[in-house]
Amino acid sequence: MGATIIEKILARASGKKKVSAGDRVWANVDLATMRDFGGPNVVQEYKNAFGNKKVWDGSKVAITFDLHLPPKEEKHAQNQQACRKFAKEMGAKLFDVNSGVGQHILYEHGLVHPWDVIIGTDSHMNLLGVFGAFATGVGSTDVAATFAYGKLWYKVPETHKYIVNGKLQKYTSAKDVILHILKNVKTDGAIYKAIEFEGSTIDKMNLAGRITLASMITEISGKIGFIAPSKEIMDEIDRRTGKKNEPISADKDANYEKVIEFDVDKLEPQIACPHSPDNVKAVREVAGRPVDQVFIGSCTNGRYDDMEAAAKLLKGKTVAPGVRLIIVPSTMEVAKKVVENGLHKIFLDAGAVVPNPSCALCTIGHPGVLAPGEVMVSTSNRNFPGKIGKGGEIYLSSPEVAAATAIKGKITDPRDV
Amino acid sequence: MAKFSGRAWKFGDDIDTDQIYPGKYLPLTDKAEMAKHAMEGVEGSEKFLKGVKKGDILVALKNFGSGSSREHAAIAIKGAGIDVVIAKSFARIFYRNCINTALPVLELPEADEIEEGDVLEVDVENGDVFNKTKNKRYKAKPVSGLEMEIMKAGGLIPYLKLKGGNV
Repeated sequence: MGATIIEKILARASGKKKVSAGDRVWANVDLATMRDFGGPNVVQEYKNAFGNKKVWDGSKVAITFDLHLPPKEEKHAQNQQACRKFAKEMGAKLFDVNSGVGQHILYEHGLVHPWDVIIGTDSHMNLLGVFGAFATGVGSTDVAATFAYGKLWYKVPETHKYIVNGKLQKYTSAKDVILHILKNVKTDGAIYKAIEFEGSTIDKMNLAGRITLASMITEISGKIGFIAPSKEIMDEIDRRTGKKNEPISADKDANYEKVIEFDVDKLEPQIACPHSPDNVKAVREVAGRPVDQVFIGSCTNGRYDDMEAAAKLLKGKTVAPGVRLIIVPSTMEVAKKVVENGLHKIFLDAGAVVPNPSCALCTIGHPGVLAPGEVMVSTSNRNFPGKIGKGGEIYLSSPEVAAATAIKGKITDPRDV
Repeated sequence: MAKFSGRAWKFGDDIDTDQIYPGKYLPLTDKAEMAKHAMEGVEGSEKFLKGVKKGDILVALKNFGSGSSREHAAIAIKGAGIDVVIAKSFARIFYRNCINTALPVLELPEADEIEEGDVLEVDVENGDVFNKTKNKRYKAKPVSGLEMEIMKAGGLIPYLKLKGGNV
């Protein structure tokens, strides 16, 4: 019996010839990260447990600030101060307030390789599965323990294979695919499972789309979503890391607990309605609902291609009166490209607010909070009650649907703009 | 691990970490402060926040703790006095954070039969749950193997210290 991607990675990382789903292993960690959220808790926990002891390997530690950039409250400033001090003491890499969304930063800076075991205080770490890395969101104890010992316990997950076939229609993108999957699989449909994607739709999907798809494995409660890197993506990883990397894919005779096929050939634009990411409908079913705010960005839809998709619709148009449109590129690299290629002007001309890169409206700490009863369409990944302000309602969509909605001031299928 | 006995506080399906521990308190690093906000994002949680006592048991339905990786969620529940969390199913990061911080968790398919205020006796190691109020016995899926060893040691860091990092 062959091995799935997760079985291969965890076998190698734990120094075993073979591991199978259900086994407990201690895996060597290649990169341990924390953010300005969770990071201060890690520092506190590490100091309490290990004092001034050096971390196991400072070159494998990265701190990414991606929430309060720059801080607006004293507590946020103190938290970042604690992380900066820790980074200096431990010889760790620090990506400060001018960087952006953590996982995207790690990839852009060549810290992510296929076969890597990566952890971070961010539940959407697993989007790095598109590079063939096993990345997971963990709590502060996991990070503090890894800082000391360089390894972490895992239960080897079972793997589900999702085969996605079909040609995506105009104005339909990776976000619609993952929302369609959420609608079918539900938020508890893959608790602790590794997912491997394949199929004709995936083969044609670019990196930004793959990131969108893999990021929302978290919302079906999966552990990690892998897409075996294509030749183009391997080239991109080699370019970023400055070396030749070893590809990864599952064995032909690997064991899958479940195989699900999705046909997205005729898929229409989708939207997740309040208050759950699996409460998914076709956009046309809820079209016309007035909105107060639209957010385009996040680790799920903050790449340059997402910005471009929004810009295509916003070009020469203006945001409907009374609607706030907030567009946040995921990283400084993306933001620079947005400026250089004229997208920034399109956004400003349309009436958007374009803050500096960050996780932005994925948490309540960022400017743009909702008042009770307000409605937001967001390209983010969660719409839990109270997430961006008590009493606010959040719909999740693609950048295309979000841009069309901002223009019309009500939920709109981009085909109807 | 010790046996527990306490009153049940009942919650529903898909209670996510923003409900267990609202995002606005994420900057907190003081564990006692965190505990004051346990379950605060759940509609009608005022009663819980006022009434929860040391030794109480939290009972929820499916996918408890979905969403963010915030360990604050496990820390706040434990700090509020909860000794054991029982749910139909748990979200993975929350479940892991409970093991790492030695907050006992049990998966019980019949969790919906338990009502708020029921007095429960729980054996975390073998999964026996006795509802004294309703005189009903259940067998829950206990944490096992390595995870139980970690919990018994008092959490991940004490476990690794105990082993001298030789794992």
